[in-house]
Amino acid sequence: MTEAITTVAHEQPPAGILRWLTTTNHKDLGILYMSFGGIMFFIGGAFIMAVRAELLLPGLQLLSPGMYNQLFTLHALIMVFGAIMPFATGLNNYLIPLMIGAPDMALPRVNNWGFWILPFAAVLLLTPFFLQFFGTGSGASGLGWMMHNTSLDLQSGIGIDFAIFTIHLLGISSLTGAINVVVTVLNMRAPGMALMKMPLFVWAWLITAFMLILVMPVFSAAATMLLTDRHFGTHFFDAANGGDPILLQHLIWFFGHPEVYIVLIPAWGLIPHILATFSRKPVYGYRAQVYALWAICFLSFVVWSHHMLTSGLPLAAEVYFMYATMAISIPTSVLVFCWLGAIWRGAMTFETPMLFALGFVAHFGMGALTGLLLPDVAVNAQYHNSYVLVTHFHYTFFGGGIFGMMAAVYYWLPKFTGHMFDEKLGRLHFWLTTIFFNMTFIPQWFAGLDGMPRHIADFALRFSAMNLISSVGAFLLGLSQLLLVYIVVKCVRGGPKATGRVWEGAQGLEFTLPSPPPYHTFETPPEIK
Amino acid sequence: MMNEPEAMNEHEKRERRTVQLVVALMLFVAVIYAVTFIKLPVWLPALQ
Repeated sequence: MTEAITTVAHEQPPAGILRWLTTTNHKDLGILYMSFGGIMFFIGGAFIMAVRAELLLPGLQLLSPGMYNQLFTLHALIMVFGAIMPFATGLNNYLIPLMIGAPDMALPRVNNWGFWILPFAAVLLLTPFFLQFFGTGSGASGLGWMMHNTSLDLQSGIGIDFAIFTIHLLGISSLTGAINVVVTVLNMRAPGMALMKMPLFVWAWLITAFMLILVMPVFSAAATMLLTDRHFGTHFFDAANGGDPILLQHLIWFFGHPEVYIVLIPAWGLIPHILATFSRKPVYGYRAQVYALWAICFLSFVVWSHHMLTSGLPLAAEVYFMYATMAISIPTSVLVFCWLGAIWRGAMTFETPMLFALGFVAHFGMGALTGLLLPDVAVNAQYHNSYVLVTHFHYTFFGGGIFGMMAAVYYWLPKFTGHMFDEKLGRLHFWLTTIFFNMTFIPQWFAGLDGMPRHIADFALRFSAMNLISSVGAFLLGLSQLLLVYIVVKCVRGGPKATGRVWEGAQGLEFTLPSPPPYHTFETPPEIK
Repeated sequence: MMNEPEAMNEHEKRERRTVQLVVALMLFVAVIYAVTFIKLPVWLPALQ
């Protein structure tokens, strides 16, 4: 399909810290985004270790209920907005120009700005949490990742204000990144790289970027409205003064549901490449996958109220949101069957990226199936706000999002560093992650079915065994992720040299370049046949 | 292969398209932000 054209770098980056502060190079910014996502993954993970320590035994041992609320809220906000999204953005920064034969992203300076907003947003989010230990303020927001408890939003302390400003900063960062992706993909492709020749990862990010552009302003506007309600005398959400408390839930879930797909679609885009590579087959059902991704994108905008089925919607609205949500399973099934089609009768080998990709398919499948159960109006009335919900979204976010990102790390790490990683340790990391992930969340599923509510620091005695197993699983899951750090650091420092193609069955423009790619690539566009 | 004037022309066209796309997308963002403030507080409660 492609002809290898590489260029020799004629301009080298400045040395030291200045390189990383001032860089506009898409590969540097990709590495910065991925490193930031990795660091935040461990910070968010540390917070949930404290939460699981509290839930190890019934009764309150370590945390006050208020502190518990802050920790799970920060865990969720950090994992979604600080870890998975920035990591996926790092992948798009590094890979999209290489995959479409562009010299860089369309807006390199904006790209730098979009990244450097993120550390400030993280500091802003965490500041009230640490200030409380010095007697200032009442701590960070403890109202869950979507802050959809309107009355508490209006009455709580400064943590909400910090969260509101964080959301605005994240919104600016996400929107600049999304606009950059759209412009790059639509305008910077090499001659001959038609839209329907683009790798699925590029399609996935184009769709994700459109979704971000559509929903991020709604989330930011909702946060602004909350801010003006709290401090400037407006009454958008204040029922006592004619406002509508449910409006905030509508606005937040209008963002919140597409946000789930914003996290997942980049992973859905990269998994077909990995499955195809290690099955020695071309991507299966390319067109079907592109159309399915667009269908999911469209449907994700019209199902938001399935998060609010217990908020008193009229029956017609409940029934509509139930069936519209279930309809998402159709394009999602198309994707899953295409992934299975890719490995069917393939000459499969089971290197670490393939193991994580297969783990992704299995775990995401369970997340998707539990997601088919929850929008049922009658079922939802029972399981809303229970650990069934917690299990469902962890099978999609961790089993789907994180497993997908892990597969990507191992797949492209040799391309990024020029060294092969330690395959034995990689496989060990996969098996430890899989075993302990399931050990953490399967008990939560049964505790939820038995009626255990989420967001509560204590629990009834009958949930003790399930919580004990889940907490031990969570500690071991957290510990096993340190192995990933060791593998990545070892790979960056050295190891067997990676070839340009890296994997025997790898296809795509990025694999026509040496590993690691030169600082500047495709200054002369490659010819795509 | 394109000759130099053709390449320059292509480069200029690409830059112009980049600016047009960025402006269009930023306007789109501004419109959605404004509609959320002005119209959604009216439209969404009608679902209740």
